[in-house]
Amino acid sequence: MRRREVPGKGKPIGEPGEFDLEQMEKETEEMLKTFYLNKKNAEFSRTKGGFLSLKLEEQFYPRVNVVRMFPFREMERYLSIRTADERSKEIGVVKDIWDVDSETRNMLREQLKLRYFTPVITKVISIKSEFGYSYWEVVTNQGACRFTVRMGGNAILHLSETRILIMDIDENRFEISDVEKLTASERRKLDLFL
Amino acid sequence: MEGEIEQRLSVSLKKVLREQGILDGKIRYVVPTDMNTGGEYADGYVIVTEKRLIAALQPPDKTKVQIFKGYRKQVQAEDMHWAYRSLPLNEIEEIHVEDCIGCNLLVVKAAEEEHTWAVFSNFHKRRMTYLARNLGEYLHSGTFRAEEVETEEYCPKCGRMYPNPHNKLCPHCVSHKSVFYRIIGYFRPYRMKMAVMMLCILASAALNLVWPYLNGTILYDYVLKKDDAFLEKVGINDGKYLVALFLVVLAMFLSKLVLLGAQIIQGIVSAQMVINVVRDMKKDIFRKMGELSISFYRNRQTGNLMTRVMSDADRVTGFFVDDAPYILVHVSTVVCSVIVMLLINWQMALLAVALFPFLLIFNILLRPRIWVAFGKRHRAESSLNHCVHDSLSGARVVKAFGQEEEEIERFFKCSNRLRRTEEVISYWQNFFHLFFNGAQELALVGVWGLGAILILRGAEGMNLGTLITFAGYVGQLQGPMRAFSQISQKWADSMNSAERMFEIMDAVPEVQEPSQSISLPVPKGELTLRHVTFGYEVNRAVLKDINLHIPAGSVIGIVGKSGVGKSTLVNLISRMYDTQEGVILLDGVDIKRLSFGELRRNVALVSQETFVFQGTIAENIAYSNPEAPLQDIINAAKLAGAHEFIMRMQDGYETMIGASGKGLSGGEKQRISIARAILANPRILILDEATASVDTETERLIQHSLNYLVQGRTTISIAHRLSTLREADYLFVVDNGRIAEQGTYEELVKKHGIFYKLLELQEKALAMKGLED
Ligand SMILES: Nc1ncnc2c1ncn2[C@@H]1O[C@H](COP(=O)(O)OP(=O)(O)O)[C@@H](O)[C@H]1O
Ligand SMILES: [Mg+2]
Repeated sequence: MRRREVPGKGKPIGEPGEFDLEQMEKETEEMLKTFYLNKKNAEFSRTKGGFLSLKLEEQFYPRVNVVRMFPFREMERYLSIRTADERSKEIGVVKDIWDVDSETRNMLREQLKLRYFTPVITKVISIKSEFGYSYWEVVTNQGACRFTVRMGGNAILHLSETRILIMDIDENRFEISDVEKLTASERRKLDLFL
Repeated sequence: MEGEIEQRLSVSLKKVLREQGILDGKIRYVVPTDMNTGGEYADGYVIVTEKRLIAALQPPDKTKVQIFKGYRKQVQAEDMHWAYRSLPLNEIEEIHVEDCIGCNLLVVKAAEEEHTWAVFSNFHKRRMTYLARNLGEYLHSGTFRAEEVETEEYCPKCGRMYPNPHNKLCPHCVSHKSVFYRIIGYFRPYRMKMAVMMLCILASAALNLVWPYLNGTILYDYVLKKDDAFLEKVGINDGKYLVALFLVVLAMFLSKLVLLGAQIIQGIVSAQMVINVVRDMKKDIFRKMGELSISFYRNRQTGNLMTRVMSDADRVTGFFVDDAPYILVHVSTVVCSVIVMLLINWQMALLAVALFPFLLIFNILLRPRIWVAFGKRHRAESSLNHCVHDSLSGARVVKAFGQEEEEIERFFKCSNRLRRTEEVISYWQNFFHLFFNGAQELALVGVWGLGAILILRGAEGMNLGTLITFAGYVGQLQGPMRAFSQISQKWADSMNSAERMFEIMDAVPEVQEPSQSISLPVPKGELTLRHVTFGYEVNRAVLKDINLHIPAGSVIGIVGKSGVGKSTLVNLISRMYDTQEGVILLDGVDIKRLSFGELRRNVALVSQETFVFQGTIAENIAYSNPEAPLQDIINAAKLAGAHEFIMRMQDGYETMIGASGKGLSGGEKQRISIARAILANPRILILDEATASVDTETERLIQHSLNYLVQGRTTISIAHRLSTLREADYLFVVDNGRIAEQGTYEELVKKHGIFYKLLELQEKALAMKGLED
């Protein structure tokens, strides 16, 4: 049964060249499997350029990227480790950041902190709406910010009842992690967006 | 020019770099940055001189305000603590901008290793991308390309951001016409009706004003009290009291009759007017929506748009018809009544209006809340609409997964939300009503009390008739009071809807028709794409630097894995979206300079999402040209391989299809779409997986018939089954947003590259299917 489905996906991997059914099978097998990384099989290290490299058994990847599979729900679980080239193939998955040793944990966290940089709004100073834009002045954990949000679009994402993600017109992201923690008057300013 | 670039640099940084002798040679590019590698905000610059690449950074400072697009950058305190690093240009092997989710990296490859050279938010992304591209070009060619001219994005007068930087119209400064006047504009064609309405309203108001006088002072104090002096004045002598009584009653009767008549006329006229105005508004909204680009729809929920067409126009008129005309009446009623009351007895009059100021303050204080309540209702309504739309159009999936209960739950949730917002609104309405009414009743009680005391004391000019008259005037205030209690809500409701309505009407289509278009007298159908880059989102380019040439009259195939951007490419050619960089030339003319009509006549796209409108098959095929001769319709259907299945239907070409008609299979719909495009007879025909749901045999037939069509016609075909592209003149293989391979079918097969692999996989798949079947 699987034989039928697999080639239909038409996603070849690896180098082009001659291939036979067996190699194809192998490639598709690989695609279907998830390879989990942990402190035993994976060895991460920092590169001079500020990235991570990965030694995985005999393979060495001079630069890898860390990507969250569930960026909102699971910040430190299900991290996909991918090659850094344009076609970005998955090398393996760190299922839980606690599966790796503490030094690696720090490295991964550094990478995630930069890649998923999202200021968290702690205080709403003012929100003014006119002519299809709303102008926000807020204080975040990264300092005060002023940005502009397009109205009527999908710029405000409700991640849960109380958690919202705001995208400004350049698609810079800001987050309110818990609306209920804001004061009543801040919530009133936000009311239009809730 | 150089001076201008240099000016962008901070003075302190320039000084530091100059002192260190690093800022040598001409400064070519300067782009600010706003982050550091630790994931914090920090101001910095990337500078390219003729000799080196410099990145300078300040320590992060959380006391600084971070400014993004929409706010004008303000001059902030200069900091002397610059950290910088530099790299000679000749050591750069490669440079590019990499998108992360929360930031962007300028990645420089030197000595075989990639380095994060600078970190910045999307705010600076566009300029940094240019810098990286220009520098990359320099590394190859040795010449610096001039910087892109920045378009001014902010209105110099008020500092607001232009909604569209290309046509530089500031909505604040240019259109002084406020929302209010624009709405009034819709009523202008119905001036006469308005005049009649106002007349009726004024007449009723005047009659209302004399009424208390008639049934109070005249009836009680003059007629019933047999006041001869007064009766003589109006010409009734000899104590004919019954005649007088009859006249008073007649006057009262007539005034009530006129009042009734005026109200009836006004009702009819205003109803007629509202229907027309609402229709005009809806027409305008709908027309505007048609003009807007695909990206507008991509950013919005259908439910939201439906709400705007269906209910906003109704709501807008609400205030203007039900309330606005009466404002004048109410105000004059109040003023007149108060004057009359003052004349009768000033103490009682003051008592009657004592609560007015409080009501006013109260009203103003609560306005923002009401405004928000209406905004919330709109959103709840939209999401309910969206929910219904979603679950109806996905009815098949809902059924297939047995999710009916969950859908009902979802619907219930949405309608509950709407209920809650409606509750809030009616809460406010009742609240206001009670408050205003209470004030009114209180005033009335006070007036009666004070009046009674005055009468008991035998105050001058105070007797029962006067008191009744006075109370009548206080009663007159009731109407205006009730109206005022509602007016701020009605106003909020109306303006809230109006803002949304005008937001659509004022929206600027992203894909714009040129004001002066070029026409192609003899279109040939030659296409050239130069450096085309495009992405749906800012930080994710789907197509990167695409270059290709398609000679007139050729048959081209575009191949690639799903999701690589094939559809995106053809959408750009038919100008559903505009390229972010690069140009698309049709017969050597930038397609942005062609009128939409010209472009659509020459380019027809059959997209992979088929759509049939409600109507007959013939109407559907002749969509682009309803006057097409029947012969042409049949021809088009034949070429699209649709004739046979159409003829098997009971009513042939007149079979009703679409929403209320006969259902068609996916493949049948596709063939009708193809026939529609063939009938349009364009120079360039684009088929985007237009035969994906058609069986192999029919697909071959269609591909074959395309060969008939190609006489002098360019055909671009994205085919699901690669083998059908055997007859194409030339193939382009898209991979990773770039043209990875190109050549004829045979060449590509020989090349043993991506195409070969795709083909091999597909044939193996077919073979395997054969084995197992
Ligand atoms: N309307 C859209 N909005 C955002 N992203 C889109 C949109 N349409 C397509 N994409 C993305 O662009 C990429 C290319 O899509 P498309 O051109 O449809 O691919 P295909 O080659 O299969 O036709 C995909 O990754 C897809 O997710
Ligand atoms: Mg497609």
